[in-house]
Amino acid sequence: MTAVTDTAGRLRRLLAILAWLAQVGEAPIDAVAARFDLTPDALVTELEMAACCGVPPYTPDQLMEIVVTDTTVSTLVGLALARPRRLSPSEGFALAASARALLAVPGSDESGALSHALAKLERALGGEQIGVELDAPVLLPLVREALAGGRRLSITYYSASSDRVTEREISPVRLFASEGHWYVDAWCATAGDVRRFRVDRIGAAEMAGKAELPAGAAGRLADDGSDGAGIGPPAGLDAFVPGPESRRVRLSVEPSTAWLVESIPAAGPPEVVDDRVELEVFVGGDAWLERLLLRLGPGARVVDPPAYRSLAADAAARVLRRYGDPEPADRPGEVTTE
Amino acid sequence: MQRLDRLERVTDLLLVLLATPHPLSLREIANRVPGYPDSHGARRQAFERDKRLLRDEGVPVLVVPIDGEEQLGYRIDPDAYYLPDLGLEAEEQAALNLAVAGVHLGEPIGHDALGKLGAGGESPLRSAAAPLVDLRSVDGLTALPLLFDASRQAAVVRFGYRGETRHVDVAGLRFRKGHWYLVGFDRDRGEARTFRVDRIDTAPEVGAPNSAELPADFDVDRSFSRDPWRFGDGDEVDVDVLIDAAESGRVVGELGPEAVVEQRDDGAAVVRLSVTDEHALVLWVLDLLDHAEVLGPPSARAAVVDRLRACVTAGGVER
Repeated sequence: MTAVTDTAGRLRRLLAILAWLAQVGEAPIDAVAARFDLTPDALVTELEMAACCGVPPYTPDQLMEIVVTDTTVSTLVGLALARPRRLSPSEGFALAASARALLAVPGSDESGALSHALAKLERALGGEQIGVELDAPVLLPLVREALAGGRRLSITYYSASSDRVTEREISPVRLFASEGHWYVDAWCATAGDVRRFRVDRIGAAEMAGKAELPAGAAGRLADDGSDGAGIGPPAGLDAFVPGPESRRVRLSVEPSTAWLVESIPAAGPPEVVDDRVELEVFVGGDAWLERLLLRLGPGARVVDPPAYRSLAADAAARVLRRYGDPEPADRPGEVTTE
Repeated sequence: MQRLDRLERVTDLLLVLLATPHPLSLREIANRVPGYPDSHGARRQAFERDKRLLRDEGVPVLVVPIDGEEQLGYRIDPDAYYLPDLGLEAEEQAALNLAVAGVHLGEPIGHDALGKLGAGGESPLRSAAAPLVDLRSVDGLTALPLLFDASRQAAVVRFGYRGETRHVDVAGLRFRKGHWYLVGFDRDRGEARTFRVDRIDTAPEVGAPNSAELPADFDVDRSFSRDPWRFGDGDEVDVDVLIDAAESGRVVGELGPEAVVEQRDDGAAVVRLSVTDEHALVLWVLDLLDHAEVLGPPSARAAVVDRLRACVTAGGVER
């Protein structure tokens, strides 16, 4: 985290500290400092400054009664700056959506503290406006259990990018929902590397022994990428991380279908070339690109590398065989135009 | 003399403006808040900067005409500043804090909200094994808070969608499969409709509070169209799709077991989908490559075949 130095950021933090202190009454300086990402000295300086604030003629209800001892800080309930404040629409939305999202995780406690908090929040905000639906793959509870218990899993996994089923031993490190799917980041003993798996593509899973996590493996999953520098792709929560084996492919698509490529991992922003949209995407496997190209339709082309230019036509011909197509359309060289 | 910390001045200003029952002129403010320069021009400039800072932080600083030579007075309406107490218990505060830590919105705005409620800071309780939920698709969706506010205030909204202006009584917002949807009563269509928020073309204009006229029996969850092939305005057609064993588990998991009309011995399944947007269905089927086949009706089967043939043809053209 970066240090807060601007006045607005400091004010926001000061008000947050006062509001939190008003809720808990008294707290150890170290705990408050850690919670709000300050050094103990900086916390005390900030609170002592605030304690000097007030409104003339400094009646008790307007004085900032903050008590700083050697080890603790405390404040009085009812302090003007410690009462809960109105939320902006964005803040209200963010809070209600976060609570709804966590309650939507399969197996969450629907009658616990979070749902009570949400009910109170929604009452204050004016009703239940937000709903979040998350997938509930059958094997999600088992993966959660393995992660929480530090266990290894033997799985069969269908890889959509290579269109193959493989058997693997994985040690889960992190579980997350993104773009409609659940993913587990894990050390894969079979690959000897950190891998990301879609939970609904795990065909079968069995609890194995204790989790194995070689030193440095967890660092590759650091959110900010700093711990993992040099040993692999930094992984945030993106559903797809371009791996070392992924290739860059340049596509040209019709503007009307450009929305289909908006959310896929691209190497740079799309460019408009001759009324068409060109962009470079990371391709982890041929099957993934086939899917994309068939969805984009006959107006999409692979610009580069040339070896991929016939991929869509070949995939289309393969799928057509399922439909028993006797005349699978015109082949190269037979195209006639009027 | 040591220069006063601006934070101290701003904090004092906030306290003074909150405490005053009547608007204060800048001179009155400078008498109560230490740290403003003596010269009129510099004082005005410093105050305007502080006022902007407070407003940027969401503090509703009111400007009202007053008698006297300064003409303008300032105050903060406590009712607009404070939230009626939610009465959150300690464990409920902690639960909200963990929810914000476990959900990625792309912006730290949830943390600011927690700060305002007295549940801010980083809770030491969060476990690394706890599942995370990524809602980052809210990033850049400026329509979302506006629609949320419209829904709160039961206001009608107007926005451009697929090149048309729509008037919608907002019933709720739903997140599903990485996208946010608006569910409401479409006045132009006279029916419940679902809109993808990221496909809204223009910033929603929010009407007056209570201007929405939702039918009394409107049920958001029943009205929410979940599947892309249900988004069209076409007639409903039942389409049967055969899904191979490789993908049937996942697909049936997504559609629900009630969609299955035939379970085959080899693990394949036939699902029946009620389709109002044939093009969306074709895209969905193509995403399954040769693991799926539209069995019928013939028109839907032909739509897939036509598109595949077009792809084969296009692939053969020299460029």
